[in-house]
Amino acid sequence: MTAAAHLTPILAQLGPEFFKERSDTGCVQENGAFCFSWAADNFDRYVTPTLEHVMLVVPSVVIGFAIAFGLALLSHRRRWLVPPITGATGVLYTVPSIAFFFLLLPITGRGTDTAIIALTAYTLQIIYRNIVAGLANVPPAARDSGRGMGMTDRQLLWRVELPLAVPEIIAGLRIATVSTVALATLAVFAGAGGLGDPIYADITFKTNVVIAGGLAVLLAIAFDGILIVTQRLLSPWRTVRPV
Amino acid sequence: MPGRYDRSALAVDQATRDGGSAEATQVEFRAATKRYAGAERDAVHRLELDVPAGEICVFVGPSGCGKTTAMRMVNRMVEISEGDILVGGRSVRERSPAQLRREIGYVIQQTGLYPHRTVAANIATVPRLLKWNRARIEARVEELLELVSLDAELRDRYPAQLSGGQQQRVGVARALAANPGVMLMDEPFGAVDPINRERLQNEFLRLQAEVRKTILFVTHDIDEAIKMGDRIAILREGGRLAQYATPAELLMAPADQFVEGFVGADRALKRLSLMRVSDIDLWQAPLAFPGQSTSEVRAKLDGAEISHALVIDSDRRPLGWLSEADLAADTVPKRPSTGPEPVLELDDVMRDALSDVLQAETLYAPVVDAQGRIAGVLSVEIISEFLTSADALEEEHPAPERPLAER
Amino acid sequence: MSPFVLASIFDSFSGAIDFIFHQREAATGGLQVGGLDQVWELTKEHLKLSGLALGAGLALALPVGLVLGHRGRGEGLAIAIGNAGRAIPELALIAFVVAYLGVGLLNATFALMVLAVPPILTNTFVAIRQVDRDAVEAARGMGMRESEVLLKVELPLGAPTIMTGVRTAAINVIATATIAPLVGVVTLGDFIINRNVYGDEGVLAGAICVALLVLIVELLLAGVQRLVTPRGLKLQRAAVPA
Repeated sequence: MTAAAHLTPILAQLGPEFFKERSDTGCVQENGAFCFSWAADNFDRYVTPTLEHVMLVVPSVVIGFAIAFGLALLSHRRRWLVPPITGATGVLYTVPSIAFFFLLLPITGRGTDTAIIALTAYTLQIIYRNIVAGLANVPPAARDSGRGMGMTDRQLLWRVELPLAVPEIIAGLRIATVSTVALATLAVFAGAGGLGDPIYADITFKTNVVIAGGLAVLLAIAFDGILIVTQRLLSPWRTVRPV
Repeated sequence: MPGRYDRSALAVDQATRDGGSAEATQVEFRAATKRYAGAERDAVHRLELDVPAGEICVFVGPSGCGKTTAMRMVNRMVEISEGDILVGGRSVRERSPAQLRREIGYVIQQTGLYPHRTVAANIATVPRLLKWNRARIEARVEELLELVSLDAELRDRYPAQLSGGQQQRVGVARALAANPGVMLMDEPFGAVDPINRERLQNEFLRLQAEVRKTILFVTHDIDEAIKMGDRIAILREGGRLAQYATPAELLMAPADQFVEGFVGADRALKRLSLMRVSDIDLWQAPLAFPGQSTSEVRAKLDGAEISHALVIDSDRRPLGWLSEADLAADTVPKRPSTGPEPVLELDDVMRDALSDVLQAETLYAPVVDAQGRIAGVLSVEIISEFLTSADALEEEHPAPERPLAER
Repeated sequence: MSPFVLASIFDSFSGAIDFIFHQREAATGGLQVGGLDQVWELTKEHLKLSGLALGAGLALALPVGLVLGHRGRGEGLAIAIGNAGRAIPELALIAFVVAYLGVGLLNATFALMVLAVPPILTNTFVAIRQVDRDAVEAARGMGMRESEVLLKVELPLGAPTIMTGVRTAAINVIATATIAPLVGVVTLGDFIINRNVYGDEGVLAGAICVALLVLIVELLLAGVQRLVTPRGLKLQRAAVPA
């Protein structure tokens, strides 16, 4: 089969034709590099996909964080757990999300749930590793003096170790979030919508690809920015200069 | 003991105000032993000594002698294998470790300040653990900052913004916060440069005179031990006690060859650590004021103890020494050609004072009081005179009867 | 989970396994699909595309990373490209290539190469920077030329971290090659995308094959990484998260 001939059956299965009015203006008809007027007129088509996209990314990262955090607490005083957990989350990270979507299909069916499960699995390793690394990097002197002053293990963890690990934890969250935003474009294959939806609907229409792809990138930048600000707020002691 | 600060001064009433474990408590080691599995020798072997309340006991010895381990057994950072340790008459095993430690101050060499908390929050650590109310904590933080001579405005700074000396002071303030009866200090001034270390030591001794805690102090530096300790416990490898005595006894009657070697051959010089500048009669230099006529000054110089004139300001602070060139002018200049350095304090330990004078290669050094006002002049001559009289002192206080090992 | 649901899951997976091994008629009729031959064909295509893209990425990113790392310049750029690479939406990238460049193996390789470059570039840069400075100075002091210092000292010592980047790049490339059929290259992803032709069992079979393929490659590359690590070099925690 030639490449083009092969493409046709795929395009035939695509979802609702968003872009039937392709034959509207000259720019669109010729599929010019970027049709500004079309973009301006049709921008609201992308609102729902963007919201869907956010609703895929945020729950995935939040749940991923919760699980990774629990695992990290578990392995904090039991170091022997770290290699097996890292290995297990590593497998989940390696399996391509798109394959994961379809592996889950028989179990959880098409839809947002499947996508979120797969996306969550993808974030586990990086968040877990960063939490563990952050806790390990706490200055031993601070730990020693904390214990020596009468903190219980739990108090030491929540008052000293975790606050000091925050920068590294948030670094992991940033990576996880940005990756998830990028990966969620594939959620369309799981029937979960998101910005992959408009892309897949008309993959050859240049303007469409640019807008949807661009929105995904902007979303990633926005989340990254929010997390950076959060980190600054949570760890003001990092930004001071030695006097 | 001649020359020592008057340690009989009673502790300030902070204790009664706070209602914490105010009075200093004594610490008793009862054959305390620490054994690690698979180790040839005990880390600490049947340590038996009593630290009276309100005194500084220094654990000193070569590395590996178990001094830090012994100290950490008191607050159960290291668990006791055999024997017991009593704090205020109660075994340390009685309470849970966390509870025990909240009643004991803990200062370590690297300070271990929490980088993510302000100075004030650091100091407030144990009071917060003890659930004091906010007003009480605030007041206590202010009080402590003053006590360790730190500017109140530093309270909202982070440790990274402080100098090494300032960090150490915060560490001490933090340990004192809940008014513990006992304080453990593990080489607290070790990471600071020698000049600041001297200053911190002096300040700490002044502090101790006010608060009178029972302190277990670990150091590897015998000179620091002699300067800081009311009693010194010298440990040898294997955690065994070689000698437990006051500094004077240690210097004059070392128990055996090991102790003698550790204390060092310059025992005589070390005794200078036991005396302070204020202990001796200082010479008086002829004083001159800026603007005074030099002929007046010359008149004073005739027949004076010291043949150089010292210029002081209106607050009686030393500005420098007058040279021949200065005296050739009509009036005393505001800035004499030679500066006053090194300027010594009455509180200074004699050994440090001698060291400063020798290092500056001067004949004379002005001595000032706590307000910086001139009190007299010290010279190398005076010190050697004093040493000879100190020898005389030894005869008045005969050494306790203990056989000295053959050299 | 009711036994009913469990049974149906089991059914689906066994149907998929069957698809892999036995040819059958396509759901649209006429064509024979499935079976080991076709699976192997598509696997080869999948690996060919991935290999080309990874090779191109290495050819581009490795030298640049080595030189920049050796000179110590362009740190900001190297790190930024690494971060940016994570933010590239895979589907949008493929669509971009289809829309602006068209279909075909060359374009597909280009798209996947874009995904391979950032991890390799960043990891190579960081790996070289983190080499023990003393070792480098000693090499210079012994009279090695700059290129020799780079190739004989820095590269071997940095190899483990570089391999981490290569592994990340490989996973990204192989995973995204799954949607390469959109660019006209028929990889294992064809089973997944073309549900009409291959049926539900085909879709699941495709997913299983892709997942297995990636895991196998991961294991192989992990082995390569171990080989490439000089004995006696203590592996530190990777400074650059893969």
